[in-house]
Amino acid sequence: MQVNSLGPVDIAISGMRAQSKNIEVLSSNVANAQSTDDGKGQPYRRLETILKADSEGMTGVTMEDIVGDITEFPTIYKPGHPDADKNGYVKMPNVSLPVEMMNLNIAARAYQANTAVLKRYQDMVETTLELLR
Amino acid sequence: MSKINEIFDVIGAGIKMEGLRQKTIANNVANLQTPGYRRVDVKFQDVLAKALESDGNEINDIDPEIFQPGETSVKSNGNDVNLEMEVGQMVKNSLTYKTYIRILEKKYQQVDMAMDIK
Repeated sequence: MQVNSLGPVDIAISGMRAQSKNIEVLSSNVANAQSTDDGKGQPYRRLETILKADSEGMTGVTMEDIVGDITEFPTIYKPGHPDADKNGYVKMPNVSLPVEMMNLNIAARAYQANTAVLKRYQDMVETTLELLR
Repeated sequence: MSKINEIFDVIGAGIKMEGLRQKTIANNVANLQTPGYRRVDVKFQDVLAKALESDGNEINDIDPEIFQPGETSVKSNGNDVNLEMEVGQMVKNSLTYKTYIRILEKKYQQVDMAMDIK
């Protein structure tokens, strides 16, 4: 009785979920692009999502982990800043806004692509159902 | 119970169930931001399979079961509804629903044909 050919729906949804999480992480990066203190004395560390395909093959994508970007923090000279060291330099987050904007574009497009797959598959099944008329 | 009525019963149970699932999905989406809300789903496929295996006239009184799957990750406000997932469920649900309706339509046509109305 169960309609078993709904795999593409689940796969497309897994892509949408992964990209939506990705966009959430990107927005955190953009929002914290100027945060010099993360509560532990360090500036905000840029986050990145790690996506993983399942070993079984066609089972969609899962978000494996969110990891910090280990690149160096850039420093700027700002002696009056409360987080400045004794030479007057402040460590800034390793977030680069142009890169984040580019990644946001990619993520949004990937999300759109997944919705396009979903929509097209839906149309296909409906076309098949027309044959039952 | 003749075979033809049995088919109508199965399709009827399916349509009833998909209607209920549509309701639970709507409920989940409505509670997207409700703190502490856990998403609900309908358990039906197993119940139907069991009813079909037994010979009795159980299909008429199949009771779809509402349960909390608790498979999705819980957000900080204790809510585990994911909009994308609900959309996916809804697409699947409506496609299955349409399939049932089409089969039912076809079945009625066959009955009409047998009675030579058309």
